[in-house]
Amino acid sequence: MNAIEVKKLSKTFKVKTKEKGFKGSIKSIIHPKYREIKAVNNISFNVEKGEILAFIGPNGAGKSTTIKMLTGILYPTRGEVHVMGIDPAKERKKLAYKIGTVFGQKEQLWTHLTPYDNFKFFGAIYDLDEKTVEKRIAELVSIFELDEFLNTPVRNLSLGQRIRCEIAASLIHKPDILFLDEPTIGLDPVVKEKIRTLIKRLNKEQKTTIFLTSHDVGDIEKLCKRIIIVNNGKIVMDDSMENLKYHYLNKKIIEVKLNTTINIKDEEGIEVLKAKEHNLKISVDTSKRNISDIIDLIGTDKLIDMNISNEPLENIITEIYKSTK
Amino acid sequence: MKKYFSIYKMTLLENIQYLSNLFFNFITFTLTIYIFLCLWQYMYKDPSNLIEGYDLTQMIWYVLITECMWYGNRNKSLMESMSNDIKSGSIAYNLNKPYSYLIFMIAKHFGEITLKFIFYFIISIILGFIFVGPLDNFAFAMLPLIIISMILGVIINSLIRIVISLLSFWIEDSTPFHWIYDKLILVIGTLFPVELFPLFLQPIIKCSPIFVVNYGPAKLFIDFSFASFRTIFVAQIIYVILIVILATIIYRKGVKKLNVNGG
Repeated sequence: MNAIEVKKLSKTFKVKTKEKGFKGSIKSIIHPKYREIKAVNNISFNVEKGEILAFIGPNGAGKSTTIKMLTGILYPTRGEVHVMGIDPAKERKKLAYKIGTVFGQKEQLWTHLTPYDNFKFFGAIYDLDEKTVEKRIAELVSIFELDEFLNTPVRNLSLGQRIRCEIAASLIHKPDILFLDEPTIGLDPVVKEKIRTLIKRLNKEQKTTIFLTSHDVGDIEKLCKRIIIVNNGKIVMDDSMENLKYHYLNKKIIEVKLNTTINIKDEEGIEVLKAKEHNLKISVDTSKRNISDIIDLIGTDKLIDMNISNEPLENIITEIYKSTK
Repeated sequence: MKKYFSIYKMTLLENIQYLSNLFFNFITFTLTIYIFLCLWQYMYKDPSNLIEGYDLTQMIWYVLITECMWYGNRNKSLMESMSNDIKSGSIAYNLNKPYSYLIFMIAKHFGEITLKFIFYFIISIILGFIFVGPLDNFAFAMLPLIIISMILGVIINSLIRIVISLLSFWIEDSTPFHWIYDKLILVIGTLFPVELFPLFLQPIIKCSPIFVVNYGPAKLFIDFSFASFRTIFVAQIIYVILIVILATIIYRKGVKKLNVNGG
């Protein structure tokens, strides 16, 4: 069953344009001119219940606008949206009970109060009775390991602790879907890893559908099985992470350490990325050339060390962004 | 309603932490009242004089009550946070919660002003007793009715401020409108009773929010009569209904045209 269904969704914004200078300002008051921006342009996709989906794209691609339409904040210009069978534009409040949202760049907790008071407050907002709230707080404290700072005012928490509390607060009402908008922004690698583990655990134990947008490739790679890439308001790729890697991972990066200096030139399927004294970094397109070709080209007698790795996902995504500009 | 009470309670709890700030406001308030005391003492050369039916004691108590309602209901953060929420698009983060943003803001506002209002009310009573003594024939038995009228005045004032903030959906900055409203209430509503204005202006002022926000409750405090209570109370209820309808219409239209870009 689908948790999210999106059909031919579009959103157009009217943006006021102004000519330069004082004259332009006066003119824009008397005769305001507008231009239309298609933030989201005819996109369709479904998300299954229990799935973790990465919804990514460069800045201005239409990700946040889409999330805002999915959560009922913005009204679509055209198209249909159903989240847990509810039309967000028509029944925003009803939908609010079924979804949770975390915006990494926006605090939703009351900073002068403790996480415990905040959870109690969110419980009241979602019409939960005292007993249920207490039980739920205990569950969340255990999942997100909040024991240590449950009674410390939020303003005194570290960013990592705060984000954990933010996610926990958005889950107080046991939502079916959790929208995460850059949840790990500004966090150090250790805390990032912790948050990712907690999100995975949440998905596994509570079967919560996760809709994630992030610029952090680590989040996407470690959490998601499916990826949707948007650019210029359109979906440019909707595929499983496995397929993405399979299709785009023909490219291998070979780093070699040699006992002498050799000169290799770019040719079909081979690109020299870096050559410094006895070290070489070469990109090989395995659909065109075999790894053994490179070894032959270098000569095994000259090899001291060799490392073959996949093209980083970050590079693949950047390439997709660029190719769909 | 439980959730809105929670919002009220949370804001109240937050504000308790800034209780010391109120103490500093006490100095400004006392100074303002003292200046008015000197001004009115000069105008009333003989304390038994009457100006448009008010003696000196009544006049000072009028200023005290209106100033208390003005100071006690000032909430810069409400105006700023609503305007900023709308302008910056942060309102979006409130829209996906299961509550009405409008009632949320009202609950928050009252959470912020409750302590302030009680504080100014107590200070006003103390200053009144120190500066001019008790009011003659004060209708103690009618105090609950007077307090109801004062609370309604505060509610109407808050609702008007919220309506002005909602204009941010259409205009870049609603601050100038807040400024005009604030000064109008301050100059026309708190310094002199309506009877002191030229005759042709009085009916206009009596139809304006000043009548229900400041003048009405203060008038009941210094000179209670059932007839004036009826008039003021009915006018206040009509104002509440009209402003709630207006706020709802503006809010609904505003949310539909909301443009929240990027993220």
